[in-house]
Amino acid sequence: MELIMSILAGVLFTAGVYNLLQKQMLRIIIGTALISHGAHLFILTMGELKTGAPPILDYDIEHYADPLPQALILTSIVISFGVTSLLLVLAYRASKENGTDNMEKLRGNEND
Amino acid sequence: MLFAVFLPVLLAIFIPFFSKWKEKIHTGYFVLLAPLAVFIYFVPHVGNDFSPVSQSYNWIPSLNIGLDFYLDGLSLLFVLLISGIGTLVTFYSIFYLHKSERLDQFYVYLLLFMTAMFGVVLSDNVFVLYSFWELTSISSFLLIGYWNYREGSRYGALKSMLITVFGGLSMLGGFILLSIITETTSIQAMMEQADVILSSEYFGLILALVLLGAFTKSAQFPFHIWLPDAMEAPTPVSAYLHSATMVKAGIFLVARFTPIFSGSDWFFVFVSGIGILTLVWGSYMAVRQTDLKGILAFSTISQLGMIMSMLGFGTSVAIFAAVFHILNHATFKGSLFMIAGIVDHETGTRDIRRLGGLATLMPISATLAFFGTFSMAGVPLPFLNGFYSKEMFFDASLEIHESSIAFANVLAQAIPYLAVFGSIFTFVYSMYLVFGTFMGEKKLDQLKMKPHEAPIGMLVSPIILVLGVVIIGIFPNLVNSTFLAHTAEAIYGQPMKAKHVEFWHGWITPLYMSLIVVGVGAVLAFTRKSWNSIYSFFPGKLSFNKVYDFLVDQSEKASAKITNLYMTGSLRLYMALILVAILVCSFGVLWITDGFAFDTTGLAEITVHEILIALTMAVAAICTIFTRNKIAAILILGVVGYGLALLFVVYRAPDLALTQLVVETITVALFLLCFYHLPNLRERTEKASQKLINIVISVAFGTLMTVVAISAHSTKLFDKISDYFLETSYKLGGGDNVVNVILVDMRGIDTLFEIVVLGIAAFAIYGLIKLRNKKEAE
Amino acid sequence: MISNLAALPIVIPLIAGVLAALFHKKLKIVRVYAQVLTLINTGVVAYILFYVHQNGSVILESGDWMAPFGIVLVADMLSMTLVLTTNIVAIACIFYAPQSLSQKQEEFYFYTFYFLLISGVSGAFITGDLFNLFVFFEVLLMASYGLIVLGGEKVQLRESMKYVLINLFSSMLFVTTIAFLYSVVGTVNMAQIAERVGEVEQTGILTTIGILLFFVFGTKAALFPLYYWLPRPYIAPNPVISALFGALLTKVGIYSLLRVFSLIFVHERDVTHEFFIWIAALTLIFGSIGALSTNNIKLVVAYNIIPAVGFMLVGIGVYNSTGFSGTVYYLVHDMIIKAALFLLVGAIAYLAGTSDLRKIRGLIHHYPLLGWMFFISAFVLAGIPPFSGFVGKLVLLQGAMEADRIIIAIIGLGSSLLILLSVIRIFVRGFWGEKDESITPNRNAARGFIMPVVFLLFFSVILGVGAEWFYPSIESIGDYLMNPENYIESILKE
Repeated sequence: MELIMSILAGVLFTAGVYNLLQKQMLRIIIGTALISHGAHLFILTMGELKTGAPPILDYDIEHYADPLPQALILTSIVISFGVTSLLLVLAYRASKENGTDNMEKLRGNEND
Repeated sequence: MLFAVFLPVLLAIFIPFFSKWKEKIHTGYFVLLAPLAVFIYFVPHVGNDFSPVSQSYNWIPSLNIGLDFYLDGLSLLFVLLISGIGTLVTFYSIFYLHKSERLDQFYVYLLLFMTAMFGVVLSDNVFVLYSFWELTSISSFLLIGYWNYREGSRYGALKSMLITVFGGLSMLGGFILLSIITETTSIQAMMEQADVILSSEYFGLILALVLLGAFTKSAQFPFHIWLPDAMEAPTPVSAYLHSATMVKAGIFLVARFTPIFSGSDWFFVFVSGIGILTLVWGSYMAVRQTDLKGILAFSTISQLGMIMSMLGFGTSVAIFAAVFHILNHATFKGSLFMIAGIVDHETGTRDIRRLGGLATLMPISATLAFFGTFSMAGVPLPFLNGFYSKEMFFDASLEIHESSIAFANVLAQAIPYLAVFGSIFTFVYSMYLVFGTFMGEKKLDQLKMKPHEAPIGMLVSPIILVLGVVIIGIFPNLVNSTFLAHTAEAIYGQPMKAKHVEFWHGWITPLYMSLIVVGVGAVLAFTRKSWNSIYSFFPGKLSFNKVYDFLVDQSEKASAKITNLYMTGSLRLYMALILVAILVCSFGVLWITDGFAFDTTGLAEITVHEILIALTMAVAAICTIFTRNKIAAILILGVVGYGLALLFVVYRAPDLALTQLVVETITVALFLLCFYHLPNLRERTEKASQKLINIVISVAFGTLMTVVAISAHSTKLFDKISDYFLETSYKLGGGDNVVNVILVDMRGIDTLFEIVVLGIAAFAIYGLIKLRNKKEAE
Repeated sequence: MISNLAALPIVIPLIAGVLAALFHKKLKIVRVYAQVLTLINTGVVAYILFYVHQNGSVILESGDWMAPFGIVLVADMLSMTLVLTTNIVAIACIFYAPQSLSQKQEEFYFYTFYFLLISGVSGAFITGDLFNLFVFFEVLLMASYGLIVLGGEKVQLRESMKYVLINLFSSMLFVTTIAFLYSVVGTVNMAQIAERVGEVEQTGILTTIGILLFFVFGTKAALFPLYYWLPRPYIAPNPVISALFGALLTKVGIYSLLRVFSLIFVHERDVTHEFFIWIAALTLIFGSIGALSTNNIKLVVAYNIIPAVGFMLVGIGVYNSTGFSGTVYYLVHDMIIKAALFLLVGAIAYLAGTSDLRKIRGLIHHYPLLGWMFFISAFVLAGIPPFSGFVGKLVLLQGAMEADRIIIAIIGLGSSLLILLSVIRIFVRGFWGEKDESITPNRNAARGFIMPVVFLLFFSVILGVGAEWFYPSIESIGDYLMNPENYIESILKE
């Protein structure tokens, strides 16, 4: 199953990167969202999948899932959420201000 | 010696105060104190029984950089030249620079330069030497740019600095290598390890790097080009820096390292070869000039070439002659520069075509100029010091050691002829200089002012220098054993008998050479006009100035071209380049280190519902690429997010699943909110090639991640630290939910700052929404 | 030595930043408050550095969870030296800010972002935990996002998009890489990672993971070929913000490289460190070329960040004690001079009304002190003695030559010349020349701009002339980095 999850995360990265290489802001941001999903999936996979119960202690359970990756993912999810929200508002403002949502038209020149 | 070196800088600190009274008393009088004091301090060292003195002061001992001063014959000659000429030049400048000029700046730069120069010639530590070396470049830059409202000044200043700093940096490279090989930073200590240096595999590089420093500073071909442009500086500066002292720093450096380098035949090839070439080129170019200071600049270049080539010969005669000529050149060239300054000052021009017949109007200056130029030309008269050193040069050029390098022997054969050739032109421009300015018909109508003799104060310095010319000329042995012999000895590296100099020593080859020079030179000089076409034809547009200008120009234009190639402002290009770099390097390293691993033991079993979730997510992810409806795209993204939440449930991560659900919901809402007002998704309109590139990059990147993930998963080499968390979560953390305990306790800092991140994001978003520029607010 | 001291440089600015948000509209108060707090924090940091110097590293196991399980904060000489330098830069910036920022920008939480940036940067220097490093990266990045968009100008928004996106991508790559590393060695504590990687001689996939990590930090540090995002976004915001970015952000990247590739991935140097030398060479060359390519004085300074980073990578690549010492010395030097230069060109652009060099001339007649400060900065930057750049460059070149890396040393020397040309032409064209009579000098503003720069240049001079006061400590950092077992033992202890 880890193999499949690794491949799935790889697919998420692929789709994410492909979107990242587009011109339109919305697509690009969707790309970043996909990449962060992929990253979180990788963290989860790098712990061991399904080797035990949820890491909530109970007397009669021997094996638990690895709790550390979960904690890390949680932190990462929250941070990505913050960044994505900022990025969304930024993209909105940038496109309004510059009159386009096409990143290829937002190149600029050296003296501004 | 420490005090002597830093005295000028200390004085410079007070210049701003002195300059407040500049209306009453010219700031130059205060400045005079510094070089004079240093001169008086060092003069007593002159004498038969001189022996080297060294003094050390700590600076950065942990890097072996100390203010180690070493006074031997070589540095004594230079210190006296710098302080002596410095005194005269400062005195001269008092009359040359009007009180309305920014005297404070001028003298601060000049004092800075003196310190730098004293430091260069007295330092025994290579890095301290380098530090002072760069300081001379900087102060020279400031002095050339003194009248920086002139385009020419700015150009000349930048040019001189770039070329000399270039040389300085290269020299630094050489010094570092030397210090690593010999494990010392002291030049004297390096000399003791000359054989270690000569046999080092880096010797060739060291030689090239250090000589590059010397050649650029001493304006050797083809780096001479900065010197003529440096003539934009006020004339006292030209007389001081660009003829008597700074340009001789390169000579000094070569002389200083002669005991180490002269063991190699390549030293002869480079130093003498470049030197003699510079001599010929400089004297030929001088003939073509029309600006008095231009003639003197090329003349300086050629004379420096002559001294340089003598150092390369390496024989005792040559070294003595080199030392002798350093002194002589300083006297006659210094006086000539000052005369040129006087002519400029009194007539308002330095263009020799507009000058003539000034001898009757400025008799003293003219007389001085005659002495100076005739000495420079090497006219065989018993009261001109230039003749002696010139003849010793011819003498030395005939006695060059055999060498193991074939080219060196060819060069040695050619040198006497080149020496005569160069000297003929030296004779020609010398005559042109003095006769063109002071004899012939007067052209007073072409001058801005009515010329008359300069004030006596201005004449004092050149008179003293010309007296030097004559005294050394009449008593050439006056300075030999007390002074120059020590200098030559320091360069030669072993005891050397003082050479007795005589005016007449029979009908020998050097005399014939001198006579040829005078004879042919006289003919060329007095038929100069008929050769003009040749002078203007060659080298014509072929000039190293063009190379410099081209390089500097291209440094900006080519840089702009290269940089604009990839710094286009296109995010897509940037991302693609970064991704390609990551891909190439990571796959490369994976390949080289054979990092791929694949191990299927201990994997979790595959279940249908997981496959379904995974498939859905994969399809949804890919669909985001193809959909053209923004709402649909956002919702499909939501599918991936919720799918991930489901996976979290499946893989026993309830907290994550909850968080992911909440976050995903809010994110989708935010997406919709932000992009409601924006245009719909357009069709992706890129070219097929662009599309292909994107596909290749993204697929490759996904593959890279998957491959590394599988390998990483297959090489679990250690136990995870998580077991500890499971064990202690309740006991020490007081919580059953291990993930929560980790978040709030074991890795509490992470969580604290994760909240900080969210907080900052909130402030930033608030600012983004609220703080708009006025235009939009209206 | 276990002590809470290690947390103070992170906690003080954190609290200061949060409190600053409470009275963000009362500018008079918040300015003085920020200045005082910055000074206090600097004092505390200086004390900790002194303490560490006397007593050895201070290690804080947060929440009393013993290493490697909890997050450790490690205040060693390296991290504290950099934190102190950060705070020195911060002092200059916080006194410069009121002249430079608009009232609106100050009100919209400049001071909060500023303090949290300092907190994040200090945290990144101090933490001994790889994932925690990621979190601090995010803190400083998020603060930098807040700062870069502050003001909401068209250009700012445009450039911040690129800045945020590329940094976001590299952050995601960072967490993923941490996950890979965790899978192999089962820990995120840097000391333990180092120990475990050492035990298996960095076999298999580990080197590839190391290279991925190199790309993560290399993107932050702006190495070739990853620096595209840097120049233009850096000049988009206010100069004081550019100065903070230029002085601090890329340096966190290079610090991380220094830490990771002196501590953890040091067993396959033929692959990794050899590779760094090449990257360093290209960074030096293309960075200097970039600095020459433009007439925008702010952009010239921004490009100049790149070759400096290349220089520091040389020290990591040659992997000897001298090289490490050189990198650290250069790091300290570069933080200070980059801040000074950004503040200077900010002042020039403000006073001349343009940042286009072709439109500036003769400024020195109006602002002599500004001119001379720029002049000195140019030589500090190019590594001309007796300033700080020289000592750093000298030690780096010695390190390179000791390791027989002659070519990279020569490239370094050559790039010094290009760097000098790139900035001295601003002096020659912008400051020299005829007086521009159309400018009415604003000496009051100029003074406010110049004093912080004088403050910074004072350190550049001291670090050069008084190198003996600093170099021995930095040399010991070099030795310390060459012997990672010291670091590992001080944290894991058993």
